[in-house]
Amino acid sequence: MSFTAPEHLNSDCRIRYSEDKGKGVYASQKIQRNTVIEISPVLFVGIPEYEQHGSFDALDHHTYKWKDGRTAVALGLGSLFKHSNTPNVSYTLDPQTDSIRYETARDICPDEELCIFYDHKVWFDPVGEAIPAIDPEPQAGCEGLSTIGNDDIDEEMPLNTDNPDEIVHELYLPFKILKPSPEEEDQNSIRTVLAWVVDVPEPRHLATLLKWLKSYGLDDPNLGHLKRIRKQDDTTTLLLSIGPTPPQLPVELELASPFQIPVPSSPALTLTSLSLKSAFWPTFYAPKRKGEIETWSCGRVAWAREAMEVVITEALRSQSEGELPISAFMPASYGDGDDKKSAVSHDTRTSTSHPLRHAVLNLIRQVANLDLGHPNSSSENGSHYLLTGKTVFLSHEPCVMCSMALLHSRVKQIFYLNPMSRTGGCGGATCLPIVHGVNHRFEIFVWKQTLSKLAINEVLDA
Amino acid sequence: MDSTHLHWMREAMAMAKEALAAGEVPVGCVFVRDEKVIAKARNRTNQLRNATRHAELEAIDEILSDKTLTPQVTKYPLSSTTLYVTVEPCIMCASALRQLGIREVFYGCGNERFGGCGSVLGVNNNLNHPTHPAYKATGGYFREDAIMILRRFYITENTNAPIPKLKANRILKTEIH
Repeated sequence: MSFTAPEHLNSDCRIRYSEDKGKGVYASQKIQRNTVIEISPVLFVGIPEYEQHGSFDALDHHTYKWKDGRTAVALGLGSLFKHSNTPNVSYTLDPQTDSIRYETARDICPDEELCIFYDHKVWFDPVGEAIPAIDPEPQAGCEGLSTIGNDDIDEEMPLNTDNPDEIVHELYLPFKILKPSPEEEDQNSIRTVLAWVVDVPEPRHLATLLKWLKSYGLDDPNLGHLKRIRKQDDTTTLLLSIGPTPPQLPVELELASPFQIPVPSSPALTLTSLSLKSAFWPTFYAPKRKGEIETWSCGRVAWAREAMEVVITEALRSQSEGELPISAFMPASYGDGDDKKSAVSHDTRTSTSHPLRHAVLNLIRQVANLDLGHPNSSSENGSHYLLTGKTVFLSHEPCVMCSMALLHSRVKQIFYLNPMSRTGGCGGATCLPIVHGVNHRFEIFVWKQTLSKLAINEVLDA
Repeated sequence: MDSTHLHWMREAMAMAKEALAAGEVPVGCVFVRDEKVIAKARNRTNQLRNATRHAELEAIDEILSDKTLTPQVTKYPLSSTTLYVTVEPCIMCASALRQLGIREVFYGCGNERFGGCGSVLGVNNNLNHPTHPAYKATGGYFREDAIMILRRFYITENTNAPIPKLKANRILKTEIH
């Protein structure tokens, strides 16, 4: 089918259509540097409307994030400029007139395509011309927006914000949240943990016991999705705690010994799941539970980006030392006043002739040594769960061994750059945090862009 | 049950007892090559404040750092070595063993929470790996003893549990299902 591009009256620019690249903007004659070639008025789309419609159709590729967070659609040529890593057109958002001004960044030859940079880097680091750390797109000229292979990497639009607490819309995050396992909707997929429970024959003891649980610190938030008391066939049973050992109950109540039963490890998100879970133990129903995926503020995203820069630097350093370019970094937690502990490591399997000296195991060992050297360190109270509440950034998806080591160490969340589809334990060969039976879950975030200079043989364990 | 296997498993159990005496989760192991124990180790997670320092990884470090046991760099340094361990290797250790090309594994009791040789995940054979050969893992060698020693550990004061609890009134269950 032949397609004719519409006329455009700006004498310097032409819209042109090509089979492989779609519509684009081309110079119709020689244009000097710093020439304003287009002023596009914008239309605003509210976030709810945007989520309902915009983000799912072709419009999505043609929106700009306005300074106040609104999503703007550029009219005129504004929506037709394609992306390039070596753009020849720069643009500025003008809030005075609600328009975008496009200006040539250098002298332009006749028939040259005019491209802008959808600058994720500008968005995160508004100042400075840092070389993008993330791989440039294949340099096949100026790719059409609709032909950029990966739909996820062309969303980032400039956002000039000075407010680190401003929430970043999921679409604009540089990483994807690996979707948690689908809700457990059949008997075999219900995830459970072993909990200690005790039968309470005397109803009047319940109040005493509930008070006692609280004073004993057993009102564990990890059990917040479960009801405390189960009444079944004239037997009343009280949920006590999880963990390897039962609590010692008040002797004066003369209760039988606590025993362990499996209880659901998360609330029910659907009614089907509710009835299945409640067969194990009465469970709360929490449809579409908010807070499962935390919101990301600009400051937090900047923190993650900086951490990933550290990972990349460390991986390249590792490579320059003759090792595999694999690294791991545990930054100080974002916003936490006290938890400033951080550590960085890389793979050392080559220099040590030890095939298991992976970045993650090296990191965990390093964190353990930090703790051992600490004068106030105590080996009690579960403090050897080294990564509790911590985030670990990785150059590669960790292998099964390392994924389980992270799980054993109770890491809160991990980010990785390059997936390892054949050997990885966090989404590749398997996904350990969602394997039925494991007793800890952590969140997995995958960077939207991979970094080819850190590529390793796909059969290796990272 | 082959008496040779029971013999080596007894040695692994001795290591588990050592762990118990040291206040560690009682898991012990021995690595056997050419009818000889080349390394034996036990869990040290509490001592090293590191939840990944399982018996298997301790012993592996010993083997790989000993130039007489690992004279040269080879892809699969454990290809002629057999592991005897009192509890099924966890997913982490099962993967480590596969990455090192272990010949075979014999264990005492299964591990419902982390078992990597079938209980939770079959890292030894079911899970595909593009290069590392699968290995055989067989349980049931001194299974009851392995369970009993774990129970004994959990019934004594575990100061490393997240919330220390008194256990004066606890009774050791002896029946095994």
